[in-house]
Amino acid sequence: MISLDQLCARAGQFDLRSVTLAVPDGAWGIVLGPAGAGKTTLLEAIAGVRRVTSGRVVLRGVDVTTVPAERRGAALVHQHAFLFPHLTVAENIRYGARDAAFAREVSRRLGADVLEHQPVSSLSGGERQVVALARALAAEPSILLLDEPFAALDPRRRARTRSELRSFQQQRGITVLHVTHDFEEAGTVGDVAIVLDAGRVVQVASPAALFRHPANGAVADFLGAENLFVGTIERLGDGADGVAPLRFTGEGLVLFAVGDHAGGAGHAVIRGDEIVISHGGEGSSSMRNAFHGIVREIAPAGPLARVSVDVGPTPLVAIVTGESSRALDLKVGDDVVLSCKATTVHLC
Amino acid sequence: MRRPGSPWLTGGLVASALVLFSLLVLPVGALVLRGGVAGVRQLGVDGELQRALALTAASATVATLITMVLGTPLAYLLARGRLPGGALIGALVELPLLIPHPVAGIALLLAFGRASPVGGALAHAGLGIVGSPLGIGLAMLFVSAPLYVSAAREAIARVDERYEQVARTLGDTPFHAIRRVTLPLASRGLLAAAVVMWSRAISEFGAIVILTYNPKVASVLSYDRFTAFGLDAALPVAAVLVLLAMLPLALLRSLQASAGPRDRHP
Repeated sequence: MISLDQLCARAGQFDLRSVTLAVPDGAWGIVLGPAGAGKTTLLEAIAGVRRVTSGRVVLRGVDVTTVPAERRGAALVHQHAFLFPHLTVAENIRYGARDAAFAREVSRRLGADVLEHQPVSSLSGGERQVVALARALAAEPSILLLDEPFAALDPRRRARTRSELRSFQQQRGITVLHVTHDFEEAGTVGDVAIVLDAGRVVQVASPAALFRHPANGAVADFLGAENLFVGTIERLGDGADGVAPLRFTGEGLVLFAVGDHAGGAGHAVIRGDEIVISHGGEGSSSMRNAFHGIVREIAPAGPLARVSVDVGPTPLVAIVTGESSRALDLKVGDDVVLSCKATTVHLC
Repeated sequence: MRRPGSPWLTGGLVASALVLFSLLVLPVGALVLRGGVAGVRQLGVDGELQRALALTAASATVATLITMVLGTPLAYLLARGRLPGGALIGALVELPLLIPHPVAGIALLLAFGRASPVGGALAHAGLGIVGSPLGIGLAMLFVSAPLYVSAAREAIARVDERYEQVARTLGDTPFHAIRRVTLPLASRGLLAAAVVMWSRAISEFGAIVILTYNPKVASVLSYDRFTAFGLDAALPVAAVLVLLAMLPLALLRSLQASAGPRDRHP
């Protein structure tokens, strides 16, 4: 388990401020946040290579705040790999290994064995990252700290490496804390997601909950919410456990939602894939939110299409499959109806 | 491939570079041309010159080795900013480079001469620095060690500290991380620093002549023959000394030319 209690650390002019979080034993924690949020500083403080100014670092139930890095059992993989250039690839992988046979297995499973006789200087960025991962795993850490370890890998190798790493992590019960900017990756491997901003933890949740229920407008914006509006929230009654019907008014929209927001200024977030597009009248349905609008743009995005519809000063964006778009015969300039349930509107 | 540019600018740059280059190379070139062949010939028959050169090289080597052992940790601490008051300490270490070398000799005499507590104790133990090879080595170390520390500090600072951090997270103690990672990565720079120090040490005159006129090192012998017998007698000794200094310099340049990308790419 990685547990941080009010952790503060300094990196130059940057401060990590009172970070408290927990990643359970054997879980894969994802750290998200904009550039300069303190993600790398956080990993370095946990690894023991960045001085902690206050607070506690607890690994596997032991307070290691003052324990030197080499006795923490936490291996750190930097984005830029930092392979030792005076050693061969094989020597790099064996650097911290206690069991040569295990180091060979790690190398083989990650596909680094074919690189072992090459000088480090001849490796591509992606190959360096694979070797850096193998080197870290070969040291048999109980904690693995990853700073964008797949950033330089091509999609195919990324999937394979991630899968092997996940397999090692599950077999050996390694607790992982992984910095990434890849939201898809966060959703694929993460058990718990932590959002950092300006040196503070803004939200800790499962990746699914994080994307559906961002803590505030800034988190929603960072996570790339397709529809984010600023306005005023009113409670329309009292419900059980504080959950009540809500009305959001702002940016030319009136949205109905359900939640525990206390009311006042706030943000409305609607995921693009929660919005339904139809031609013709609103008809009768259980959808509490429906808007007429004109299709402004249809942007293909792989098998999906991102449809922007003018319904007010700010367009609403719906994500539909390409097939749906073709079935509806959607064209720019079409008059359409967008609708979504109140339960899909997140107010924060 | 021709590059666009003003011919006047190019001509001006070349002319000014040539003036400085000539100022630096002509005197040494003249010395080697006039005395080089005679010096090499004399080396085979002149016992005093042989002894002076051997003493010079041995003293410079010992001074350089001692500085490498004691100066590398200092250079590391300065490079990594681990010393409180590091800027002041760095400046104090470089002070011997700024004072005239005869003054350095006088300072050494004051600190380590027989009249000083340290010098008295050393003399009592049979390690007097005045008129002894020990004095020669001490003078060489004092005036040239700052060059080693300064260059070693830069060489270590060029090694990204994150290499050490990775080694620490793989189980290395700080000492082992430095020994297994930082020093090998800085080795070319450290060797270059040692070569520069050695070259400077063998050409030292001012501080040595105050502490130890006899036995003579090559620079003192050259001066001695100049004052006693004139220019023609001093020339071969001076030329051989220049040739000796050029050897490590050539090695240094070849090291720098072969400095590959390993220090630059993570």
